[in-house]
Amino acid sequence: MKKKAVLILVLLMILAAVTACGSKDTPAQQPDASGQMDVLYYAYNSIPVLNWDPSIEFSNGIIVMNNIYEQLLRFNAATKEYEKVLATDYSKSEDGLVWTFKLREGVKFHDGTPFNAEAVKYSIERTREIGQGAAFIWDAVEEIKILDDYTVEFVLSYPAPLDIIASCPYAAFMMSPSLADQPDDWFEQGNANGTGPYKLQQTTMGDEVILTRNEDYWGGWGDKYFEKVIIKKVTETSSRRQMIETGEADITTELPAEDIEALKSSGNVVVEVVPSFTNLMAFFNTQKAPLNDVRVRKALSYAMPYDDVVEHAMGGYAKQSIGAIPEGMWGHSKDLYQYKHDLDKAKELLNEAGIKEGELKLLLTYMSGDEAEKKMAELYKAELSKIGVELEIRAMPWESQWDMAMGTDPSSQQDIFVMYWWNDLATPYSYLYSLFHTEDSTLFNLSYYKNPEYDALIDGAHENSAVDIEEAERGFIAAQEILLEDAPAIFIYDKNTVWIKSPSLKGHVDNPSYPYVVFFNKLYRE
Amino acid sequence: MKKYIFKRILLGLLVLAGVVTITFFLTRVLPSNPAAQWVGPRATPEQIAAAIKTLGLDKPLIVQYKTYVLNLLKGDLGVSLRSKQPVLTELKTYVPPTLELVLISTVFAVIIGIPLGLYSAKKKDKLLDHFCRFFSVGAVSLPTFWVALFLQLIFYRWLQLLPLGGQLDAKLKLMYEVPKITGMLTFDTLITGNMTLFVDALKHIILPGITISLYPIGLVARMTRSALLEILGEDYIKAAKSYGLKDNLILWKYALKNSLGTTATVLALSVGYTLVDTFLVEAIFNWPGVGNYISTAVMSMDYPAIIGVTLLSASSYVILNLIADIIIAVDPRVRT
Repeated sequence: MKKKAVLILVLLMILAAVTACGSKDTPAQQPDASGQMDVLYYAYNSIPVLNWDPSIEFSNGIIVMNNIYEQLLRFNAATKEYEKVLATDYSKSEDGLVWTFKLREGVKFHDGTPFNAEAVKYSIERTREIGQGAAFIWDAVEEIKILDDYTVEFVLSYPAPLDIIASCPYAAFMMSPSLADQPDDWFEQGNANGTGPYKLQQTTMGDEVILTRNEDYWGGWGDKYFEKVIIKKVTETSSRRQMIETGEADITTELPAEDIEALKSSGNVVVEVVPSFTNLMAFFNTQKAPLNDVRVRKALSYAMPYDDVVEHAMGGYAKQSIGAIPEGMWGHSKDLYQYKHDLDKAKELLNEAGIKEGELKLLLTYMSGDEAEKKMAELYKAELSKIGVELEIRAMPWESQWDMAMGTDPSSQQDIFVMYWWNDLATPYSYLYSLFHTEDSTLFNLSYYKNPEYDALIDGAHENSAVDIEEAERGFIAAQEILLEDAPAIFIYDKNTVWIKSPSLKGHVDNPSYPYVVFFNKLYRE
Repeated sequence: MKKYIFKRILLGLLVLAGVVTITFFLTRVLPSNPAAQWVGPRATPEQIAAAIKTLGLDKPLIVQYKTYVLNLLKGDLGVSLRSKQPVLTELKTYVPPTLELVLISTVFAVIIGIPLGLYSAKKKDKLLDHFCRFFSVGAVSLPTFWVALFLQLIFYRWLQLLPLGGQLDAKLKLMYEVPKITGMLTFDTLITGNMTLFVDALKHIILPGITISLYPIGLVARMTRSALLEILGEDYIKAAKSYGLKDNLILWKYALKNSLGTTATVLALSVGYTLVDTFLVEAIFNWPGVGNYISTAVMSMDYPAIIGVTLLSASSYVILNLIADIIIAVDPRVRT
């Protein structure tokens, strides 16, 4: 009996295998009218969307949302100009306090609701009311006035660059007022309703997102563009590499340097290296002796082996930073002082500060799992040991690393906090304010840096950016001179974004203002 | 017998209560910041303060524990800090694919492991036996992640026969309505009769299926072999032989039946092991199961999700142990 049962099972399996071969040439259903499935596949290294609410999402989700939703403007980092998206024109008052936006007419949301001044007011007020994620970008807005169906006026409580704000990759998306009729958990269920070129077709718990073309898109469509887009979480780097090699995926990023080298030499894929607005920094605990002595901080800045870090931790896919603002962002200046690896100078400065060899022990924390940060820390440790400074490296989950830094007792805090920063708003203020402006309770000023002169300088420059960008830029550069003199942090490197693409994929242009975002409606196959 | 089972169940519940308590306090004692996790990156102090209130984190830990246990008794596992979805809803999505792998591996363990052990015992110390023993020791000792990567390299990269990972080809998902009945795709597609999807689902499950099956196959083969060898030396087998019964009949009917108790016990326990083993395999094959879920949860210190999954694995261990105990208890030779 048992033998028979096994036999039947085996036969069944063979049968299944046979049907496998047979069904290949006869698909049960036709894909669509033309019989062609033109699908774009983006293999992403993490969860594509964490929160489907465009008012809240302040993370990976922008790679999806910038294709479903649109802002009033988009910032083109290459030309430093604003692309008119849902706004066709805008003007500001002399003092930068009143901004008027002309809106694009004839635009509809995916559900058919017309886009108009009411939708703009609704979206921004909704985002502010929820008050999560990047809602703070709208802080300066006091009132939103609807002048007519397609004209909105923003009244600000202090001068702020509303063009920069309206083009923010986070929290500046326009949503349909029909949202108010949806149940509270509508977004959590994985729904979306924007004006963008793609509609959300389906999603599985954020692991995989499938977009389909919005045929009524105001920008129109040519024949060559993709009908469907798949964005999928593929965390294993070896999997992403193999998928791009076999042509299963069309575009991916964040591969280890060794893989990139191998792929480059294979010639089957296109590797594009572009600057990003992400930089790595090591923040000194300026409240803790002896790091409260600027000479010690400078010494430690000279001890960093910058070139080795770029070469070995990043495989060359980075560039030593000059100042706190990454290259390509306005406010970056090549003329700022750049610390070089110089152990003699470091030793001299430590001597000056009265620190003897073997006396200084420091604790460095970084986010566990980040290979580049780990390698950087190890290279740094080796250099520090040459000048008699002992470095303890501690990998911690981000939450724990941050929690430790938020403690109020300096002695229980880290000495050096390693962290990447990237832009939210396309302004130097996004870096200089969040990271070094005086804070009552610690948030991201992880150097615990306090300098009223610096604060005044960047606050002034920020207000200036509403009226006079050049003046603002000068202010931000001057503020960085103070930072380099005070050395509250080591500015290690500006990271590159490395795109790995299928050779048949055309039309892709990276825009570092929108990190890792692929604007799918510009892509086609050739 | 009833008293025995009752005692076992009670013990199991005690174990589960212990697991809940330990995981709850462990995940909370570790340095982390659930409120910051809830609000998301770059939160402001006001947002965090509001989240602390919403999540009840301002209350003493013991009060939080009480709330958690009371909710748990109502079947509420809490809300994930990361996705803000009820953990139970999320588990319902992620458990079936894992179960699918575990079931496949169990089926393989039975239909491959038992015959392997049987022939091994039959041809003791012959070439076939050596081969089987070599295979089963290898199957148990090869590291799963190595096997997984090796299979991917051969079947995806070199031969290009089988997919790299996932449960279904993403492009096929666009063309066909994917049935959602049990969440186990090979099963769902088969009963809805969509052969294209079924074949694709089958192709996707082959590599993770093989990887995950190796351990139970090896284990079951080894156990069947040694149990059979012992039984084959017993007097009643000698008696059967002297009656002139055919060797195959003796082996399959009289000997195997008696060895199944041991095999079933081992199998039940190995299912529990497999459940945890799939976590690693899922990560490599990008399989949308509990393993994928727990790894994201652990990385982000999402404690309601962590406790949820721990509780799930612990319950399955307890239940499987109970089954193993009952199997043993059913055997009249053990029942005392």
